[in-house]
Amino acid sequence: MSKVAEPTWRDRLRLGKEVGPGDHLVGASLGAVYVAWLLATARELGFARDEGFYFRAATDYARWFKLLFERPQIAIEQSSIDPIWQVNSEHPALMKSLFALSWMFLHEKWKVFDDASTAFRFPGMVMAGLAIWLVYIWGARVFSRRAGVFAAFGLALMPGTFYHAHLACFDVGIMTMWAACIYVYWRAEQKGGLAWAILAGVMYGLTLETKHNAWVLPAVFVVHALVLHGKRIARSSRVGMIPIPTSLLAMATIGPAVFVLLWPWLWNDTLPRVQGWFRFHLNHEYYNMEFLHVNYWKAPSPPAYMPVMIVATVPAVTLVLFFAGLGERAKIAWLRVRALLAHAPFLASQLRVSKGDGPKDRYETDLLLFLGLTVPLSLFLLPKTPIFGGTKHWMPAYPFLVLFAGRGFDLVCTAMHRALAPRLIDARARFMATAALLASVTLGSLLITSHSHPYGLSSYVPIVGGTAGGADLGLNRQFWGFTTQSLADYFAKNAWQGATVFIHDTAWDSWSRMLDEKRIRSDLRGVGSPSEADFSIVHHELHMNETDYNAWVHYGHVAPDFVLTHDGVPIISVYRRSKPKP
Amino acid sequence: MVPPGMAAFDLVAAKKWGFAFVPAVGILELVAHLWQTTAGVVPESDWRAAREVVKAKAKADDLVVFAPKWTDPVGRETFGDEVATLEREAFPDVTRFPRALEVSIRGKHRDELAGWKELARDQVGGVTITTLENPSPAKVIDDLVRHASPQGMTVQRTDGAREVDCAFQTGGGQAGGLGFGMAIPNERFACPGGAFVGVSVLEPIDYSARKCLYAAPIGGGSILRVRFANVAFGKALHGHHGLYSEHERGGASVTLLFKAEDKTLGRVVHNDGDGWKGYELDTRELEGKRGELIAEVTAGNGNRRQYCFEADTR
Repeated sequence: MSKVAEPTWRDRLRLGKEVGPGDHLVGASLGAVYVAWLLATARELGFARDEGFYFRAATDYARWFKLLFERPQIAIEQSSIDPIWQVNSEHPALMKSLFALSWMFLHEKWKVFDDASTAFRFPGMVMAGLAIWLVYIWGARVFSRRAGVFAAFGLALMPGTFYHAHLACFDVGIMTMWAACIYVYWRAEQKGGLAWAILAGVMYGLTLETKHNAWVLPAVFVVHALVLHGKRIARSSRVGMIPIPTSLLAMATIGPAVFVLLWPWLWNDTLPRVQGWFRFHLNHEYYNMEFLHVNYWKAPSPPAYMPVMIVATVPAVTLVLFFAGLGERAKIAWLRVRALLAHAPFLASQLRVSKGDGPKDRYETDLLLFLGLTVPLSLFLLPKTPIFGGTKHWMPAYPFLVLFAGRGFDLVCTAMHRALAPRLIDARARFMATAALLASVTLGSLLITSHSHPYGLSSYVPIVGGTAGGADLGLNRQFWGFTTQSLADYFAKNAWQGATVFIHDTAWDSWSRMLDEKRIRSDLRGVGSPSEADFSIVHHELHMNETDYNAWVHYGHVAPDFVLTHDGVPIISVYRRSKPKP
Repeated sequence: MVPPGMAAFDLVAAKKWGFAFVPAVGILELVAHLWQTTAGVVPESDWRAAREVVKAKAKADDLVVFAPKWTDPVGRETFGDEVATLEREAFPDVTRFPRALEVSIRGKHRDELAGWKELARDQVGGVTITTLENPSPAKVIDDLVRHASPQGMTVQRTDGAREVDCAFQTGGGQAGGLGFGMAIPNERFACPGGAFVGVSVLEPIDYSARKCLYAAPIGGGSILRVRFANVAFGKALHGHHGLYSEHERGGASVTLLFKAEDKTLGRVVHNDGDGWKGYELDTRELEGKRGELIAEVTAGNGNRRQYCFEADTR
């Protein structure tokens, strides 16, 4: 008898028919390259307003983690927890805890990162890398490897995603966790068994722990489960039993337990504090946001806001592929609906279908992807939802958008192979054609995304005319005062030793860190009003025009000394107290 | 068979090669991006060259504006205070300007100048300078905002029977960040109890810039009274008033009452949401005369009432 050779690790990593470890290597590599790109460009991007708050919160939480490692009995006492975890207690703990631990180990202890900020930001970057990995694997499992590859590129090469992926914030974190939670639920449905169900429960807890977007995730699961298990539920309900998928049960039980367990703030006075968390977000103050030359500052959002902003910020080719993929899946869904209708004899004759004609979707995957896409988006069509924060709030929809776009790429690729069949004589030729097609649909996005840095929120895609086109349309120029660091060169050349600078929309913690890390000259002194300042900066946002006018009146001249622009569009004006140069 | 004079459209070929639409979109997007970020950006040198043209052409009473509006900071930076004056940047309306020089890029225009007659057009690289003529310019005789000095006006605060003078002072002006509202001018008539009157720039509800007299009402029965001295009257008193944008969200109405020669010329009311609201009062009885003009600012409640007004005689 000949002995069958044990597969080597190389064999295991080879991309076979089934999605396997080799695909995880591909996905992880794509994610790792993205994280490397983010790390390489992190120093060029100053700190957004909220980052300053989270830097502070994470630094405080790090003190508690230190206490936990050294004196755990004392750390778990309420008197140790509350003073620290009360800081920024309107947001749960997962991302800020990761920021804290990353800072403790990767900056303070092991000195992996020179900048403390890079250590704070690293977990967010890793989350972005994980999202790339996830959409590759999911795309490969549902459609094809080609679809997975495009999904990964599509997600990575959006200026908005690229910007947010740099930050020590929660938005990319929740995008990843939203998609990962739905993915694990989907795998739990496929694989069955207690382990996957428990994992789904844990994932839901972690998603809740990331950001409150997780509140609406049950809408995805319940609708999907009702469709997937509808018949079984209907049958069982007749005998007084309602079967509930184990994964959903785990999410309803393990999820909240994980959530409370990982957020020390909730270890005492749990219910009132959970209520406080809900209250904060249900009564969140409104922010100002310019849309089509109108400044919105209260609910409702204009219904066009979300779709127009998607068109204006996501590369057009990705959207074209998305519609191609979605269209095909919609067509399949229609065929399935027709087949279902065939059970009604009258309709069957009208539609000319017979029972069992429709395509199969055993786990209702298309529906799940559609729900993952539409639930985060639909919130922005509700009459009570105000505009605050712009595009970042529907980023959880983007992994699903690119999965459909991946399917679109797949279809286009197949059509191309068919059209070029006589010329594509071997696998190498087909591979080269596929690579050329991939390049044609990603190179533009790569340049657009790369060029947007470090003005990610100011940038708009070519279909609306780029950054200048966005300004023409009256779309928001920036947010969170994230562009301040881009004045570093100006201040280096023009400010005298110890000059005072009115920092406008820059958060104090963000400003301090920029000085600490010598991103801006560290002798400069930030002040809170133009009256106290030698130099005043104005972040150009419509509702902040008053700051311009204040400078005019106070300094007695209207000409800024310098205007920072991106593609010719003003981002920040700098006024100096003394007359500007002639 | 394709009928004569008709082109054939091969549906089979279109279906076969339809996939090419997607890479074509990708490549078009790439090309558009490259253009928008290079040749599509007006270089600083064009702006500087345009400044020289405008400097040579602009008369003192010409309006100079930048289009689209978002280019205004670049325009002010490049053209400097000599050309981009506060009066041109924060005008009450365009009726007073006989001519305008519109400095524009990207083929954009200012709405305020719609209907004006084009006299000339100069192209300086990517910048277009259009000289426009106002079809019906107003001849301003006197501008109340220019009276804001001890020689030009006095201010009183009246609380019931008690009237106190508000002294002119220089210094202590304040400007803040977002939410501060109008800058408190360095030169102002400061009243006991906190009220004051001085020239500032209002950000009304449309976020435009409007130079005006910052005169926040005191509230209750108190009157903030401005006595403009030696005003040259015309046929009409033409003006505007408004509130700081964030104060247009719920507060008392503000009343502005004009008097001259012991007669009330008119009363205008600003309600929340009115924005930068225009008014015109008939002063034909006073035409050709010079004299005192009194403006009284009142409101039921002075809370969140950063109020500003301007007027001219014409």
